[in-house]
Amino acid sequence: MDKALEHQFVTNLERDQNIVHKICRIYTNDQASHNDLFQEITIQLWKAYPKFRGDAKFSTWMYRVALNTAITLYRKKKRGIQTQDYDTVHFRIKAEEYNDETEQQLTLLYNAVKELNDIDKALVFLYLEDKNYRDISETLGISEVNARVKMNRVKTKLKNILNP
Amino acid sequence: MDELELLKKDWKKQDANYPKLSYDQIYNMLWKKSFTIVKWIFIISVLELFISTFLSLLFTGDDYWVQLEKYNLKQFTEVLFVIGYAITFFFIFMFYINYKKISATDDAATLMKNILRTRRTVKYYIAYVLIYNGLTAIVVFSYMIYFHINSQDQTLTKYSFDTLDWIKFIGVGLIVITLFLGLIWLFYRLLYGILLKNLHKNYKELKKLEM
Repeated sequence: MDKALEHQFVTNLERDQNIVHKICRIYTNDQASHNDLFQEITIQLWKAYPKFRGDAKFSTWMYRVALNTAITLYRKKKRGIQTQDYDTVHFRIKAEEYNDETEQQLTLLYNAVKELNDIDKALVFLYLEDKNYRDISETLGISEVNARVKMNRVKTKLKNILNP
Repeated sequence: MDELELLKKDWKKQDANYPKLSYDQIYNMLWKKSFTIVKWIFIISVLELFISTFLSLLFTGDDYWVQLEKYNLKQFTEVLFVIGYAITFFFIFMFYINYKKISATDDAATLMKNILRTRRTVKYYIAYVLIYNGLTAIVVFSYMIYFHINSQDQTLTKYSFDTLDWIKFIGVGLIVITLFLGLIWLFYRLLYGILLKNLHKNYKELKKLEM
């Protein structure tokens, strides 16, 4: 593959790398797995890049490839015993302006998201990214109505995890 | 749900807190090896072929062929080898096609369908290995009995069996064959089963969305 394409790709990815980091945060529990997944997504993006025609925005296309890699192509089991105490430092950084109660609530919320299965995580992720239901349905390959129904179910699931 | 809105607000705030990889760091990643499941299936199948070829070469010295000649099984074995390798190559080719076809740019459902096709190929492959080995074992076993009965070899007569011995012999033989096939099955279940278990779960999840 030619150098220009390579340069273009890396520049794009460098600019939009946050998307990949966010997916890694949702799907992994520690820094090592985060890095592994980031690398795998980068490789998959690069492999698929020749097919990217530029008719969509680079970031839109990235959502799909990156999520697919996390859901289906990448399957490394977490090392060690899985516990409830996730590496919160890895997952999020405290914001100054919240009070303790909000902070606690947020920690619980993030932990609840971690309990979801891979598909539900993808829904929550796209929701958090402010994607509309059309984008969600296209990324996952389900109908818009179903995406809506499913999102409601995920909300219920989260509620149940938070208030058992 | 208010909580999700709170989460969304915080999610956006986190934007500044993600690691920042440099151009060079990302560039270096491009040429690293990918470790996707589908690739592993392809790699394992090729490795398996090499190992089994190596093992069969190791165990099939000249003695082996002389033995076979004595039992008139040489031609049969040769034919079996050719058919066996042809089918194995066919499966490796299929694994390769599956691996090539899988593209991360499809939507998640299509991608998963493709991966599940790979899974099906794996299943067929395991079934083939079991049937091939099972049939071979049974044919060789029956042939040995047949050969023994019809043998004019004087040295063999002193081992001649009565009916009960025959039943015992056949019984033990069948148990050994079953155990052998069971072991192969277990081995493949472990080898490929682990790789594919979670994917199936995800696919079922995704299918539930459509209902």
